[in-house]
Amino acid sequence: MSARDAILSRLKGAAPDKAEADALLVAPERPMVDEDALEAEFLARLALPSVSASHDAIDTIADLPAAVARYLDAQGEARSLCLPPDPRLMACDWRGFTLHDVAAPDEAAALAIARRGIAESGSLVFETSPQAPMLPNFLTLHHIVLLAVRDIAAHLEAAPLVGAQPRAHYWITGVSGTTDIEGSYVRGAHGPRFLHVILLREQ
Amino acid sequence: MSGFTASFKDRADAALADPILKVAVERTAGTAQAKRAVAVEAFPDFEAARDRAAAIKDHVIAHLGAYLEEFEANAIAAGARVHWASTTDEACRIVIDICKAAGAKSVARSKSMLGEEIGLPHALAEAGIGRVETDLAEHIIQLADERPSHIIWPAMHKTREQVSALFKAKHRSPHQEETIAAMAESARRELRTQMLGADVGISGANFLIADTGAICTVTNEGNAELSLVPPRVHIVTAGIEKIVPSMPHAIHMLRMLARSATGAALTQYTTFYTGPKRVGDRDGPEAMHIVLVDNGRTKMREEGLAEMLRCIRCGACMNHCVVFRQIGGHAYGGTYPGPMGAVLTPVFDGLKESRELASACTLNGKCQEVCPVRIPLPTLLKGWREKSWREGLEPRSMRWGLGVWAWVARRPALYRFGTGVAVRAMQMLGKTGWINRLPLAGGWTQYRDMPKPAPQTFMNQYKKERRR
Ligand code: SF4
Repeated sequence: MSARDAILSRLKGAAPDKAEADALLVAPERPMVDEDALEAEFLARLALPSVSASHDAIDTIADLPAAVARYLDAQGEARSLCLPPDPRLMACDWRGFTLHDVAAPDEAAALAIARRGIAESGSLVFETSPQAPMLPNFLTLHHIVLLAVRDIAAHLEAAPLVGAQPRAHYWITGVSGTTDIEGSYVRGAHGPRFLHVILLREQ
Repeated sequence: MSGFTASFKDRADAALADPILKVAVERTAGTAQAKRAVAVEAFPDFEAARDRAAAIKDHVIAHLGAYLEEFEANAIAAGARVHWASTTDEACRIVIDICKAAGAKSVARSKSMLGEEIGLPHALAEAGIGRVETDLAEHIIQLADERPSHIIWPAMHKTREQVSALFKAKHRSPHQEETIAAMAESARRELRTQMLGADVGISGANFLIADTGAICTVTNEGNAELSLVPPRVHIVTAGIEKIVPSMPHAIHMLRMLARSATGAALTQYTTFYTGPKRVGDRDGPEAMHIVLVDNGRTKMREEGLAEMLRCIRCGACMNHCVVFRQIGGHAYGGTYPGPMGAVLTPVFDGLKESRELASACTLNGKCQEVCPVRIPLPTLLKGWREKSWREGLEPRSMRWGLGVWAWVARRPALYRFGTGVAVRAMQMLGKTGWINRLPLAGGWTQYRDMPKPAPQTFMNQYKKERRR
């Protein structure tokens, strides 16, 4: 008997009742979020020490390069950026920047668009696609993320896509950190040491 | 994989005699305990949330076979290959065969307790495949050639001074400054190129999502993603109990996991991987393999340990355990330490080898109080004690002693006579209200005093009162 058959034969039983599984999700306990103040709620979580991201805001996507420049200048970094091949980003005017679309092992800054922000935890939600590689967001020292205010949702239940799943769906809630040495917190363990969110307030 | 080189008592004695160990364990477990308390306090109704988490896991365990088949079908539809392993050897063989078929010279491994359980580090070494542990704590352990001592903080037993010395001896360009930040930076420099150059990435899974076929990993460091995205092949080894029906179920469990483990609302990086790289994707592995491992889990379900399959490996039980806080994780000898380890180790390594673990417990119930899925750990430990007794595994001296006691206890007159003599003798031993030296129990009174018993036994006093 194959291991598969051996395991499944020991686990014989009734098929799960979908209604029973759904009933386990009725009114889940979850962090309280003021649904009328999602942006403020999101920003409050973003500022928590466990997330420790900075933020800025712009009114239209045309202002994005200026906001990125502002951030990089303030950090004392060169205006060099790993930019994914997303048409929304490529349509911006990046004059004055050195752009590349493949992240170097010691990449200083990478930009990405989050599909959602989650207020309960201050999380940013991403998916992989041909326009959205994953690796730059983990290799870079400064992770800069564009998030439209209208895409902020209260709870994590709004994060997943319904239906077909992308290769990777991921939530970033703060910078790469570790407490592996004596429980004390250090930023930038393997991935980004800085996370900067640029909120797009355009309606 | 266990490490029963000495008896539990010897291992515990050695741990207790190590002054550095206690400091190191206290620093991390103490912080974790405090942070969890704050997170739980801030959550609207954590007690109800624990009930729900337990109910979700119980539902899954009751329908485990059907959910595994659903997961398998969806993972295959997403392009992953699914393998099944009944034993640790089978699981390792599958992983090694995949590595060999991929011509792998090096693998990057993202911390997984299941990997430790099946002995994967050892199997890779035997197969001559280089292994890079990418979690900072696992990296420390690998350099020190030791075993994890905690399921969330595997290097909990090490102080910063020990880590510093280790990195200075082993890193190519070690830190100059004696700070934890500088040490972490040294590891970052050391590991990054190794991660990016690996042929295969190996991870565990915190959850397997039945209705999408996705596997979920959580890390604070981002090392899972850096280990799993660049290589050509991603191998997942996961216990079959990791299944949840759907994403919303996973979300509830993730809320519980992070708060119970580290006191955060969520772990920094939570990633759901569904199959290998898609057409047009710029990164991701060409192939994804998922190895579903039983290793005693179906037996646990049949033999009264189904509740233990709820465990989401958060580590809260050990952070709150008075015994763990004294002796650290290594003394337990198995892959999993602390209260959950004391329940699991007899399953994996045999009760005969590990029966003492069930006694390394004060039954104060703290572990059960903090467990996010309400596992009745003290009850399960008592179950092992009973089984050990039934199977005659307790030492002869104890069986003999208890036999004598039982014989006497069945003879009330003799029993009363005996206790009367004992009480009078103990009266003579203590001049004040305390006894500080007791013959045959010197080990006990070496560190503590025993209250002097009442001048007469209960039965004597009772009789006297009735006569009045
Ligand atoms: S037994 Fe409970 S508290 Fe302990 S690791 Fe498992 S889930 Fe966490």
